[in-house]
Amino acid sequence: MIAIVLALIARRLLAAIPILLVVSALLFCALRLLPVDPAAMSLPPNATIEEIETKRHEMGLDRPLPEQYVIWLKGALHGDFGRSIALRRDAGSLVANTLPVTIQLAVAAMILAAVLGIGGGLLLFHLRGTLLEAVADFVSILLLSIPEFLWGLILLFVFGVTLRVLPFTGEVAPNLPIPHVTDFLLLDSLIVGRFDVFASAIAHLILPALALGLAFSPAIMRVLRSSLFDVYHEDYIQQARLRGLSERQVLLGHAFKNASLPTLTLAGVQFGILFSGTLLVEVIYSYPGMGNLMVDAVRNADLPLIQAIGLTYCVVVLIINTMVDSLYVVLNPKLRVR
Amino acid sequence: MALNLQRRAFLKTVMGTAAAISASGPLVPAYAASDAATIGWPNDVPTWDPNQRFTPDAQPIFKAVYDQPLDQDPQLKLIPHLIKAWNLAPDALSMAVELRDDVTFHNGDKLTTEDFRYTFLERNKSGLKLDIANSMRKVQDIVIESPTKATMKFNSPAPTMPQWMAFLGSYVVPKKYMESQSLDNFLKKPIGSGPYKLAEYELNSRIVLERNDNYWGPKAKVARVTIEIIKDPSARVAAIQSGQADLTVNVPVREVERFQSEGALAGEINPITRVILVHARADLAFADKNVRLAAHHAIDKAALSKAFYGGAAVPLSVLATPGTPGYLPDFTFKYDPALAKELLGKSNFSPANPVKIGFATTNGQFPNDYDIARAIVQMWKQVGIDADLQVIEYAKYFELNRGAKLPEATLYSWDNATGDPEIFSGYQLNPKMPFSPWKDEDIGNRVLALFNVADYEKRIAGYKELERYAVENGASIPLLQSVVTVVRKKDLTYTRYGNGWVLPQTLQWS
Repeated sequence: MIAIVLALIARRLLAAIPILLVVSALLFCALRLLPVDPAAMSLPPNATIEEIETKRHEMGLDRPLPEQYVIWLKGALHGDFGRSIALRRDAGSLVANTLPVTIQLAVAAMILAAVLGIGGGLLLFHLRGTLLEAVADFVSILLLSIPEFLWGLILLFVFGVTLRVLPFTGEVAPNLPIPHVTDFLLLDSLIVGRFDVFASAIAHLILPALALGLAFSPAIMRVLRSSLFDVYHEDYIQQARLRGLSERQVLLGHAFKNASLPTLTLAGVQFGILFSGTLLVEVIYSYPGMGNLMVDAVRNADLPLIQAIGLTYCVVVLIINTMVDSLYVVLNPKLRVR
Repeated sequence: MALNLQRRAFLKTVMGTAAAISASGPLVPAYAASDAATIGWPNDVPTWDPNQRFTPDAQPIFKAVYDQPLDQDPQLKLIPHLIKAWNLAPDALSMAVELRDDVTFHNGDKLTTEDFRYTFLERNKSGLKLDIANSMRKVQDIVIESPTKATMKFNSPAPTMPQWMAFLGSYVVPKKYMESQSLDNFLKKPIGSGPYKLAEYELNSRIVLERNDNYWGPKAKVARVTIEIIKDPSARVAAIQSGQADLTVNVPVREVERFQSEGALAGEINPITRVILVHARADLAFADKNVRLAAHHAIDKAALSKAFYGGAAVPLSVLATPGTPGYLPDFTFKYDPALAKELLGKSNFSPANPVKIGFATTNGQFPNDYDIARAIVQMWKQVGIDADLQVIEYAKYFELNRGAKLPEATLYSWDNATGDPEIFSGYQLNPKMPFSPWKDEDIGNRVLALFNVADYEKRIAGYKELERYAVENGASIPLLQSVVTVVRKKDLTYTRYGNGWVLPQTLQWS
């Protein structure tokens, strides 16, 4: 099985090369079509035309677009994504500093989405044929229609302002330090033995992760329920019942395992979308991740930074898809047949 | 049974984790202590090199960590700071300065004229492309006479150099420390001579300042100030309302009014030295003076103030704010839609046959910008001006202006913490500077002449005349004096400045 998974990963890595090249080229060209001049924006507002022309030459912007792309690509392959126009810092290091924050948030959100989605899906299935089914169905559709930023605001006002039980600004309380070892705060706080920081970081993570999780759980919920409906028409379910297994054992021991495969596929796709959904949630909760950085970059038309973040999103989504496919192979014996 | 056991184990784990979290302290910590304060701030600093970017919103933070050669009092009068005495030559071609001799940087190094020269001359010539290189482009040399005395030499008259010594980007940085390492290292561990040391910085998240107990000036009352970067206005409102911030700025006016009426928190709407204006081009449909003047007469500024700023934003008739040297209290450009129609009629335009113009605005660059623009479009429509509203990013403004691609009118906001008229109308109407789309020889020559007037009284009188002339000729359409909103806990006070600064070093718990 390991060999099959490794082969799959190798195939995906090879396929990722042309995908990344195409995405980076599209991103590069699309950004160059915007009516902004990176050279002019790199200089103070009252820079002279001559200074701008010199800067344009320095940045290679007076060369043909394909040549500019090749220059950028060469730099990117060496880890040099250029300098942020607004922050005057290396775009690659800015992304590297903020990516762990976003990954931590997205993983926490995905765990919550999975817990809520699977729990909700099982509940919806359990309520089939009862009077409560329509109510549960309505609630799931209602949840599905609320986007993550709205959840962000709702949760902030309920738990942060009205009940005042959870903090909602930043990663950790202002009176606590932020340790930097791996830049994954939860892990770092445990490594340095600061359990107060860990607890505060968990408290600060709950609302943004919940906002994202709530937005993405209804889809998991509904797909799981549909899959369970399909699975329950299979012969092996009847046979399990004939073997005298209880309904709970049939559901959790047999039906759920098979119904979870399409749910897993959906969760993989959802995780990619959820990752990009961190943009607004990070701004609302002042979470210092890559989404927050992207919003600033777009606002400032900071092309090098937008390119670096855009490409990182693409890489992350490719990695997630590879991981989900690998997991799928592990869980689904049919796919292990060569 | 197996399921029950798992459920029990799961519940135990959850409860154990919850207990551990509760035992480690409250989830929402008590922030308000007499030696600490938390501020909800809308923007991060662009960089910790204070000379590099001109960002008005970052100035109060820079002023906490770094010192400026001169300072301003709450009424914006220039006062000594690092420079204890200065003398601008009558021809404004040189300025002698004398620094204090008791100033040290946070690392203990003494601040001298070497640092002053490095900041205002050497760094600018090093090819670093600092914004300060532009404000100091007239500085030809800085002659050091002693560790505390130096003379700045200018290649052309620099009458506003004293104002610039207390303005954007003018912060003295430590030469020895900066030269001993890379710029990137300095940015990671910046050192100034200000009342606070930078204790911790997390990009887009928070800035932690700790009092500099060796500060040469008045010591900060609050030992530790945490600036939480909260970009979303609703989140800032929530932060102050929930007690997670002790003070916040730039929240919507309606929220401040709510806080004022509820009484639990102190809310302020403070007019500041920032003007909201409509920039005009001198060509296209605005080549016609009647159209420009009609566009100005058609705007009900008091209504805009009432609708969007709770009436606190003062309607302006010139490009200067009340209390600043260039303000003309006796001059009023009246709101008169009938006169606007009459002027348009002279050029054969009417509501039935409107003149078509383009109107650019930002959306979110300053409070209610897009809404103000939409209201103006409606006001113009009433008199016979059909404006095509287009939203532009502020970052693109200068690029569009350079390429003469801005439309006839653009809604704009201009911040001038000094209050000096050169930095108001001088910059806004100077055809050689990138701010104004107005390119016209008549006004241009008047402005350029004023840039070389060294005598203060003559210079101010000249700007007053220019402002009136520009408005009467439709070259400038000032709208409102902008406001800054502040919401704070009632027992946390700060010093209110006419330019809207909320300085951490002035915070004090009562």
